[in-house]
Amino acid sequence: MGIAPLAFYLFAATVVVSGFLVVVAKNPVHSVLWLILAFLSTAGLFVMMGAEFVAMLLVIVYVGAVAVLFLFVVMMLDVDFTALREGFVRYLPIGALVGVVLLVQLGFVVAKWTASPGAEAARMAPAPDPAMRQNTAALGDILYTDYFHLFQLAGLVLLVAMIGAIVLTLRHREGVKRQDVLAQMYRDPAKALELKDIKPGQGL
Amino acid sequence: MAPDLILILPEILLAVFAMAALLVGAFGGGDIRARPILWGVAAFMALVGLLVGLNPPAVGTAFGGAFTLDGFARFAKAGILLGAAILLLMSEDFLRRRGLLRFEFPVLIALATLGMMVMVSASDLMTLYMGIELQALALYVVAALDRDSPRSTEAGLKYFVLGALSSGLLLYGASLVYGYAGTTLFSGIVAAAAAGEGPQLGLLLGLVLMLTGLAFKVSAVPFHMWTPDVYEGAPTPVTAFFATVPKLAALALFARLVHEAFGAIAADWRQIVAFLSVASMFLGAVAAIGQTDIKRLMAYSSISHMGFALMGLAAGTEFGVQALLIYAAIYVVMNIGTFAFILSMEKDGEPVSEIASLNMYSAIAPGRALALMVLLFSLAGVPPLVGFFGKLYVIRAAVQADMVWLAVAAVIASVIAAFYYLRIVYLMYFGAPREGLDGGMAPAQWIALSASALAMVLGVINLFGIEGLAAAAAATLAGA
Amino acid sequence: MIGLEHFLVVAAVLFVTGIFGIFLNRKNVIVILMSIELMLLAVNINLVAFSAHAGDLVGQVFTLFVLTVAAAEAAIGLAILVCFFRVRRTIEVADINMMKG
Repeated sequence: MGIAPLAFYLFAATVVVSGFLVVVAKNPVHSVLWLILAFLSTAGLFVMMGAEFVAMLLVIVYVGAVAVLFLFVVMMLDVDFTALREGFVRYLPIGALVGVVLLVQLGFVVAKWTASPGAEAARMAPAPDPAMRQNTAALGDILYTDYFHLFQLAGLVLLVAMIGAIVLTLRHREGVKRQDVLAQMYRDPAKALELKDIKPGQGL
Repeated sequence: MAPDLILILPEILLAVFAMAALLVGAFGGGDIRARPILWGVAAFMALVGLLVGLNPPAVGTAFGGAFTLDGFARFAKAGILLGAAILLLMSEDFLRRRGLLRFEFPVLIALATLGMMVMVSASDLMTLYMGIELQALALYVVAALDRDSPRSTEAGLKYFVLGALSSGLLLYGASLVYGYAGTTLFSGIVAAAAAGEGPQLGLLLGLVLMLTGLAFKVSAVPFHMWTPDVYEGAPTPVTAFFATVPKLAALALFARLVHEAFGAIAADWRQIVAFLSVASMFLGAVAAIGQTDIKRLMAYSSISHMGFALMGLAAGTEFGVQALLIYAAIYVVMNIGTFAFILSMEKDGEPVSEIASLNMYSAIAPGRALALMVLLFSLAGVPPLVGFFGKLYVIRAAVQADMVWLAVAAVIASVIAAFYYLRIVYLMYFGAPREGLDGGMAPAQWIALSASALAMVLGVINLFGIEGLAAAAAATLAGA
Repeated sequence: MIGLEHFLVVAAVLFVTGIFGIFLNRKNVIVILMSIELMLLAVNINLVAFSAHAGDLVGQVFTLFVLTVAAAEAAIGLAILVCFFRVRRTIEVADINMMKG
């Protein structure tokens, strides 16, 4: 067995097993950790397919941001997670049955994949030879030109996420003392100091 | 590039305006600016809607075919923008009195509307996905807008989980379609589908998964589970929004996807759509009968109406698309009027949504009761009101496409559905008297209610010429 | 070289695992959200595999947008979840007794 198949089976097995453990782990913190492992191994698969930029992004965005966000929320919420596993065993047989049926159906289609005869000709952005143009540069070539409108829309999607998170969770509390930087900067000695001429021998 | 930008000018204008409104809100004092922002956004959306609808700009495709502005898209966009503008104006009073009028609300609605505009113009799987998500993410947030209410946050959570699940299914389908066709452009997909021989398993599986995802978005049976809970739990203005404009956008997207991308395998999707249609019509009609909450009832009503609208699509013809557009437009107008009334339902300053509170309403406010009666008759499809013509169109489309069984099923379902609409009318005029609603109606709500009721009556003359517009729009999509 | 089908099967298994997880953890919304992330990950594997196999960059561009939207989706989903928890002190969705289905 060459190195490539070995790496493939290693990454693929890790993805599948850790994906499975995400959904069956008892403790959600463990679920998040398994999720991180699944993301990392998927990044490995992406590198094998020559998609370096997406692999890097997966590590940065998913592991660095999404998974950490999950971890943060899981730890912040004070929830008795064992109570939430009620019904887990009850749904297990039917869930497994549905899963197996679905997997067999998908398997029939994807395990012997046939693309349309015209698929080769229909390509919109043939990938350049990696030796001539790197994956990241090649993606940049089309992302900011042909797919410029989608790039802008992605910006709006992130804006909506930002507004949404603020609308839902930001609460202005009354009576919180905040630092007012401008007020601090505009303070001058005339406002802050008062000079008193105290005669000797007298108190204030 | 410049001609491309002219085609998406309405979208650019709306996006820039929404961001400017956000800045005004954020730096101009926050929620005390909410009212002017809401009015400004509504006026601007109406203006852009008129611009798109009346002034025929350059028609064509932009960005290498990923974005299409044709008659069909213009019809849907004008409807979406005008509907969203009216709904914003209607909700102002309700939100303000419940302390929910935050300046982010109109901004999020504007961004959701922008997502819908992209949806109806999408002629590429990626554009489709981004449009759907922009719309959906903004709507998840407004569903949970009343963040201190258990019902509203629960509605938001349910809507989110099912919405995200449906996006996942849709995307998996889209990935398979891309893998099969080698392109994400609808024009490329339809060419690949036409060229294929034998069973094109990958394409079919992708189609089924994409239709499943879209069925969630239009809340067609059996993917309707979230609708009643979300409609009941979300604040009423948000429910009013959910029931109208996003439905129009999702139906238009549905029509464009099946005709432009899967037109070559129409026989396959027509069966699926016909099934969704029959199941939605019947379940919506039967499940609504036992409801005691009017927002829940409207949820089942919308499920049933989506079934009728999909019937036009199941026909798979140009006339079917025309019928779908007419039906959807009438549906939006009827629902705007009905929800204008529901928004005004209150007792001692608290919103009420119990149906029983309408008992003998005709004695309290005869004018509003009359308008609501007209709308309910129209929703039920009682001739000669406009709602009847909508149903007539989709049934004719099914008959013309040799789907007589579907047409017969639709007639039976509409008879069942008529029962619960008429029950409300009965309660309003002959119900057992009890302490009912009090409180007035904001001017915007009163105008929306009476205008929509009047349209249901006056529209019988020529349906305000919508037939011709819808026919022209349908010709650009399905005409071959 | 590893064939396209190998990657597609991994993606299919991951996708089904995601659906299975939603079925199984009906009450635990956090795990449901993670299951949805698994489904999106499966989609990404599919897209990159098709892209690499056909020598077409569009699949990778699609993946980029799916990643962006998934991040936004996670942010909004968790924000709604935090709101829900603040009001109800639980994250159970099945106990939606407030609204009968």
